[in-house]
Amino acid sequence: MSATAFPAESASALRRLMIAAKGRSRIPYLWVTIVAAFVSFVSLVPLGFIAWISVQTGWETASRLIFRGRVGELLINTALLEFFTLPLTIALSVALAWLTERTDLPGARLWSLLAVAPLAVPAFVHSYAWISLVPGLHGLTGGVLVSVLAYFPFLYLPVAAQLRRLDPAIEDAAASLGLNPWQVFFRAVLPQLRLAICGGSLLVGLHLLAEYGLYVMIRFDTFSTAIVDQFQSAFNGPAANMLAGVLVSCCLLLLVLEAVLRGGERYARVGSGAARPADRRRLGRMVIPALALNAATVALAIGVPFVTLTRWLYIGGTEIWRIDLVGGAFAQTVVLAIAGGILATIAAAPMAWLSVRAPGRLQRILEACHYYVGSLPGVVVALALVTITVRLVLPLYQTFATLFLAYIMLFLPRAMVGLRTSIAQAPVELERAAMALGRTPFQAVRQTTMRLAAPGVAASTALVALGITNELTATLMLSPTGVETLATKFWSLTSEIDYVAAAPYAVMMVLLSLPLTFLLYAQSRRATGQ
Amino acid sequence: MTFLTLDAISKSYGPTVALDAIGMNIAAGGRTAIVGPSGSGKTTLLRIIAGFETPDSGSLVLDGKTLAGEGVLVPAHRRGIGIVSQDGALFPHLTVADNIGFGLPKKASDRSRRIAELMEMVELDEVMAARRPHQLSGGQQQRVALARALALKPRLMLLDEPFSALDTGLRDTLRRTVARVLRASGTTAILVTHDQAEALSFADQVAVLRQGRLVQFGSPRALYGKPRDRETATFLGEAILLDASIASGRAQCALGSLVVEAGLKTGQATVMLRPEQIRLTTAPAGAKIDGPFGRVDDVEFGGGNCMVLVRIDRSDRAMPDFLSIKCVGADIPEPGDLVGISVHGTAHVLPE
Amino acid sequence: MTISFSGSVSALAFAALFASTGATVALAQEDIGIVVYNAQHESLGVAWAEAFTKETGIKVTLRKGSDMEFANQIVQEGAASPADVFLTENSPAMSLVDGAGLFEPVAAETLAQVPENFRPSNGHWIGVAARSTVFAYDKTKLTEDKLPKSMLDLADPSWKGRWAASPSGADFQAIVSALLSLKGEEATASWLKAMKENFTAYKGNSTAMKAVNAGEVEGAVIYHYYYFGDQAKTGENSKNVALHFFKNQDPGAFVSISGGGVLASSQHKENAQKFLAWITGKGGQGILRDGTSFEYAVGNGAASNTALPALSDLQYPKVDPATLNSAKVTDLMTDAGLL
Repeated sequence: MSATAFPAESASALRRLMIAAKGRSRIPYLWVTIVAAFVSFVSLVPLGFIAWISVQTGWETASRLIFRGRVGELLINTALLEFFTLPLTIALSVALAWLTERTDLPGARLWSLLAVAPLAVPAFVHSYAWISLVPGLHGLTGGVLVSVLAYFPFLYLPVAAQLRRLDPAIEDAAASLGLNPWQVFFRAVLPQLRLAICGGSLLVGLHLLAEYGLYVMIRFDTFSTAIVDQFQSAFNGPAANMLAGVLVSCCLLLLVLEAVLRGGERYARVGSGAARPADRRRLGRMVIPALALNAATVALAIGVPFVTLTRWLYIGGTEIWRIDLVGGAFAQTVVLAIAGGILATIAAAPMAWLSVRAPGRLQRILEACHYYVGSLPGVVVALALVTITVRLVLPLYQTFATLFLAYIMLFLPRAMVGLRTSIAQAPVELERAAMALGRTPFQAVRQTTMRLAAPGVAASTALVALGITNELTATLMLSPTGVETLATKFWSLTSEIDYVAAAPYAVMMVLLSLPLTFLLYAQSRRATGQ
Repeated sequence: MTFLTLDAISKSYGPTVALDAIGMNIAAGGRTAIVGPSGSGKTTLLRIIAGFETPDSGSLVLDGKTLAGEGVLVPAHRRGIGIVSQDGALFPHLTVADNIGFGLPKKASDRSRRIAELMEMVELDEVMAARRPHQLSGGQQQRVALARALALKPRLMLLDEPFSALDTGLRDTLRRTVARVLRASGTTAILVTHDQAEALSFADQVAVLRQGRLVQFGSPRALYGKPRDRETATFLGEAILLDASIASGRAQCALGSLVVEAGLKTGQATVMLRPEQIRLTTAPAGAKIDGPFGRVDDVEFGGGNCMVLVRIDRSDRAMPDFLSIKCVGADIPEPGDLVGISVHGTAHVLPE
Repeated sequence: MTISFSGSVSALAFAALFASTGATVALAQEDIGIVVYNAQHESLGVAWAEAFTKETGIKVTLRKGSDMEFANQIVQEGAASPADVFLTENSPAMSLVDGAGLFEPVAAETLAQVPENFRPSNGHWIGVAARSTVFAYDKTKLTEDKLPKSMLDLADPSWKGRWAASPSGADFQAIVSALLSLKGEEATASWLKAMKENFTAYKGNSTAMKAVNAGEVEGAVIYHYYYFGDQAKTGENSKNVALHFFKNQDPGAFVSISGGGVLASSQHKENAQKFLAWITGKGGQGILRDGTSFEYAVGNGAASNTALPALSDLQYPKVDPATLNSAKVTDLMTDAGLL
């Protein structure tokens, strides 16, 4: 695996870097690389843990635990879930993105905001809403339905952004070459959305693997639910760890699959100058079905949670709002989310800066480490950290340090995304100009790039904070005694089917996520100049 | 024979009038340039011809078939009009060969032969066939775009500022290639540009657009020599504009009495001379100069072509006139020299 | 504009960072009293803790989890375990911790509050409540004559697709451990295999009962109190449900003992012992009687909720809680593909 190739590779690359670092201006690259390498090393811990446990378990026990019917069932469940959810999600989000960005759909801006809004509702609150409304909903059908509704914004956002970025002259060219509007869409537009679709699908696919709460409620077994079952039955026993190993393999498989589908090339916009804003296609009579599609999506993805929560709140009245409980969980969640957001952003900063400023082979490897760890399910990272702290570093066991470490690992890619884009927008010439004016390299970076990247920093922090607010499994398994977040509190109440008392926590999570979701939306529009 | 007829085409965006009753006839096989400053409506006009925009009124007839107007609107993909846009608009996800072959039927047996032919026609090396658009230079991209548009043998080719993103040297070479290829294939072409030199050298008909109106339409020579108004005169090149009084075929102005076209009304008018109509003669010190003269105020050295700023003091005016005159050759006067000014050819009286 | 936007953002970020670390440190250093690893229902744990604190002034911090999760966790934590008290829903988890020698013997006066059959003979832990296995069935679909005579009957192909359970829960695993203790490994393994074929898995006993009520399955093997709890609230999830007690010393009549114990590693043994004494005494057992948990009280002379059938009438099999083997059960269930 890549872990073995890594040290040799990095050693020689580091040597080259050190030779290159003789010049004064190279010094920050070296130090930043060392820090980024450290973060990468830490991010390899869960994978290393799986390997270590597998060795400890021994091949015989391991194979007995891996090659058994239950794992087969889970594999089939996982494959079916991905197989049905991804195409549906892609179709829905591309259709919505096209309608809101490129047609004269009435209220397009509002619909586009509403298409992102489901992100403010945690996935397990989506399924809570659905089983409250349709108690019999379960299994694959239920899982696919709720997954599509909970996760389609992850695809909608990049696809809509890419649509805005496309040069409309290309579509004109296709039309002038005799293609009708449908052919233009499928032969000229869709291929240009490939990167956005691949990236978004990967994100959704990984969420399907990692999500726990959603599938427990909808009664659909996946690896994540099975690992938690094992954890609850035998703590970090070999069976749980072996399931985690299979789950990690599934994640890596998805990553490889996406890389293959994406291909090597990038579709940079060719040519210079700003693209003419694209014309919006007139829908004509199609406006009715178009509006119906948007309205139906909103009704299912926002309306259902809204109606259910309102209903439970109405039934519960004022007595479910115990301010000491709800308020306490709210405060703890906010603190964890903000602190975790800042820590993850700080951890991601060296790599983000390097990957823009000094792209190279070593950087790509380090960057891959940063991204891969975020693709791991919370349950796997938590399991690794529980075992490592309880067996090796007991002082860190059940501490905030470990919980934050888990958050950093889980949300490192989120922090990278915002940072990278905004650092890329700060030209390196500014750093050089600052150094020419007598600043040291670090001062130069701080006074130019870091200033310009500030909006990206805010976006990254917000994205991570959003993730932490809705995080369930790692928080359940790692949090120090006495820590109750909105998510864990909501979870323990719904486990006792006390849906009424759980409602305030769900509402607070949604309220907390709304501004962050809006920020995300605004950021994605600003990034494409609108 | 008229191939393309535009009749009273108008287009407004809200209160802004983009095009105001544009009418012109374009002959088959000709090369027409639509030139105008930015915001003049030239690109809108092109997009209406291509079918990407719908005119508010007026009609568009190509080869006897109405494309727009009289309740008809043929969509872009059924017009058979090729287009090459500013930055090529190549499909970023396809190779050069696939870009060129985009409009060709997928299963056509001679597809690859056609692509090779087209590449040769636009002078693209065959090793380029497998490249992606972002691996090409700007000029190569435009060649691919041209080949792609030519593949379908369009009746009409629209060129939307295809050279504007290129460096000067490359621009001239590519313009010649395009002109040659279009002539060879007998394709009627319309070039939209804001660069008057490009328009004048490329086209056999030039339409000048300003603020949505067609100001003048004619051969490059006629437009350059006999512009209709001040703006057109200066837009199409350096112009020397002088107040004059016209009487019996001559104009009295700062440069003395100049020959003008016959049959003009007597009275005050503006005359225009192009710099190349004027010669400066350096007089030996103290010598007497026949005819108009001035003193060199400044010289802007530009290699082969120098601009000489000449100050003409006149007894009948308080303010001197300044003329900027292009000088070619070795005899460039120095600042402070006294120069005689002679005019060749007739002066053009602006009809406004 | 000398103080730029980004400057203020980073200032704000740092302020937030310090504030939040401050807050978390404060949270961590706050006096948390005794730490209870509470695998009991959260509401019961909270009710006990709050009443105990009110009466004694000793703070109680609950950590929630499940029986076996905590038991294995405590074993791994060993001497460093932050827990002072361990409360479970079932006995196997207690046996596991006891087997690792991690329990402090329960104070003699506390032991004296609970009859011998509700605690292990070694006195390392103590029963704090009890619950009976039942077959909760849809009374609109099943009449009494069609009910299974024994839980073992549910392995019969005629029951395929008709019943439910929550195999990942400690409750059901305790029932399996009783089966193992009563009938042996072979019988248990084959019953579990048949179960895998026949049953529908739900997460949690309440969810399983809800499914019976909604007509999704005809019956479910759960504990008795879910039904009474729901009846006492809205009854919305149990209006079509009736309970069938297997009785007759059937494995399905198993009464599971919820345990409590003080950890040998505890730094607050005195308060921990007080807590255990309190919940097995009048105060704690009274909460079982008057509260909404509907678990059976186990204290000497302590009365259970009046809505419940008397524990003595249930003809439950005699199982020594010390013999319940949890690790074996997990293995057997993993092998059967239930986990």
